[in-house]
Amino acid sequence: MSIAVTINDKEFTAQPGQTVMDLAQQHDIYIPHFCWHPGLSIAGVCRFCMVAVEGRPKLEIACNLPVVAGMQVRTDSEQVKEAHKWALEFHLINHPLDCPICDQAGECGLQDYYMQVGKYQAQMTQAKVLKPKKLAVGTDLVLDTERCILCSRCVRFEDEVTKSGGLGIFDRGDRAIIGTYRDKRIEHNYTTNLVDICPVGAFTSKDFRFKKRVWFTQDTQTICPGCATGCAIDLACNADLKRYYRIKPRFSEVNGHWLCNFGRGMYEHLNVEQRLLSAYIAGGEADQPLTKTDTAQVVQALAVQVQRAQKVALLLTPQYTVEDYRALLTFFVGKMGVQSVYQWRSRQEDAARFDGILWRGDQNPNSRGLLEVLAEFGIEKQQGNEFESLVAGDYDLVIALAPQVLATFADIETDLQQLQALPYVSLWASAKQVLDYRYQQVLALTCFAEQSGTYRNYAGVERQLQMVTEPVSAEIMSVAALVEKLAACCEVKEDEHGSG
Amino acid sequence: MAVVKVKQPPADRNIFFQVAGYFAEIGKGMRMTMGIFLRQLFKREASNTLEWPEQPADYGERFKGKHFLTLRDDGEIRCTACFLCATACPADCIHIEAAEHPDGAIEKYPTRFEIDILRCVFCGMCEEACPVDAIRLGPEYTMAGAAGEKWVYTKDYLAQRPVLEGGVTSVKEENTKHPDLDREDAERSSHLKHGVH
Repeated sequence: MSIAVTINDKEFTAQPGQTVMDLAQQHDIYIPHFCWHPGLSIAGVCRFCMVAVEGRPKLEIACNLPVVAGMQVRTDSEQVKEAHKWALEFHLINHPLDCPICDQAGECGLQDYYMQVGKYQAQMTQAKVLKPKKLAVGTDLVLDTERCILCSRCVRFEDEVTKSGGLGIFDRGDRAIIGTYRDKRIEHNYTTNLVDICPVGAFTSKDFRFKKRVWFTQDTQTICPGCATGCAIDLACNADLKRYYRIKPRFSEVNGHWLCNFGRGMYEHLNVEQRLLSAYIAGGEADQPLTKTDTAQVVQALAVQVQRAQKVALLLTPQYTVEDYRALLTFFVGKMGVQSVYQWRSRQEDAARFDGILWRGDQNPNSRGLLEVLAEFGIEKQQGNEFESLVAGDYDLVIALAPQVLATFADIETDLQQLQALPYVSLWASAKQVLDYRYQQVLALTCFAEQSGTYRNYAGVERQLQMVTEPVSAEIMSVAALVEKLAACCEVKEDEHGSG
Repeated sequence: MAVVKVKQPPADRNIFFQVAGYFAEIGKGMRMTMGIFLRQLFKREASNTLEWPEQPADYGERFKGKHFLTLRDDGEIRCTACFLCATACPADCIHIEAAEHPDGAIEKYPTRFEIDILRCVFCGMCEEACPVDAIRLGPEYTMAGAAGEKWVYTKDYLAQRPVLEGGVTSVKEENTKHPDLDREDAERSSHLKHGVH
């Protein structure tokens, strides 16, 4: 059963139990708000979302106003605008206005609303109440109680989402502050969400603080590669500089409004200092470092090996896209008849672990995608690490896709060390760290932010990646592009062979 | 063949009377030229010409010349690294890197503050954008230098170059000035003429 509600002379259909705020958000009708958040319960403390209802003498808050059949709501009358103006003025009474040093500047609710309903001439003559600033209250958190407008979003997040209840409002009146309990810190994997939901600069992220003003970065919608959940994220980067600064959650059915701190670290391995920028090939003495060369040359060398080798094996980490696997297997399994395909996973993982909110023990974004693509090519496998079987398999040529995020592999050093001992290894990687070891060749790959594609999350849901920037170097490409090059090289070789 | 008879004007008796006006104007002009020439020669102090760089040229207080960064009372740099100047700059010549200050009293400060003076167009928008009076465009106008000179002004140079005599303190109540504006002209010239870097 639906009911008709009029907002600003326009009729909408609402469900009983919906609030006016829900309905307005659904239809993009502007109602300013601080304390209301779609992922949290209703508090009704900021008194900012005032609307007028026909037939009721006083203004009411939209966030806690259930719709009633035939209700006529106005959000744009002079009376409502005046209420917004004064509500904002009240919020600013003790606000320190330290926007120049505040990291929230540029994405701050107070700033945005001030541009719309600011009074510009403050009428407050008393001195502002000073409160503790710059408090390190927990993982990645800096708390400034002066900037806080006591909307209580953070308190509700702690109570309702993480259920850790680490925050409270202490004292009363203009001395009320947000704080932790005595000698307690907020330490869990979801603390940076407090920074996201804080509508002002009271919570700022230690990691992102002062690194870049937000108006110099652009957000691109993509998928977190940190675990099998596949949360939707906004990756903030400066496209001109090809530098990545932070990751914020984006609403999706999979992750709701939240993202874990682990996932927020998934931008660090993208920056150029961490990256492998060109292909390398071994030559000369065994203890010499690898020689930097262009990708075409290495692919050529690989094509020779692929045709010469008797026993070829593929070693695949579940951190690449479905498209990449499909291209790779089409060539190696479909065309070259390779049957030895191994999964490479962390030795210490507990894939079944789940923290009850978002984070999973399976820290590969595409475990399921890999198994499905393998099945397409007739290779049925169970999820699990098969690194040892590969090492024991006595292969002439191993093509290994190294993990994109080396940090998710607990024993990556041991694995990389053991790979060195094999007769011929073509390691495809994106992290510079692999150059500490010596392989016959190393090919440089793009990272998740530099390509589009698909992951399949733990439940088999397709998660669509989007290309954020051009690759950091012209010499690096995706797995699919490398396979295409390799296939072209092999064809030329075969032609020569056939005619000769 | 038809002949057109053109009536000739009557020939003047003396060519001198015909061009007398020109001589008069030349005479006036020469008088002006020679007057100034002789005055410059014998009464140099009355001349409008400056013997730059020995003699200073005063562009007035509001001249937008070489940038400088102001200091707090305690000698710390006033800039809070808010990036508003870098945002406002139409020439994209300001490069700032911000960080947490080791001293707890100050929250944010620039670890690097650099101006690429070859890109700068001296529009003064950085000065206007600054919310804390940390950057100003001063009266120094001689910025010429040899190739290989450092054209990127660093934070130390902007705040503490010798001309600034230990730096300009910006206090909210008082309006402090660049030392060059408080000095006598003759004294000023000695700093300005070299275009010190």
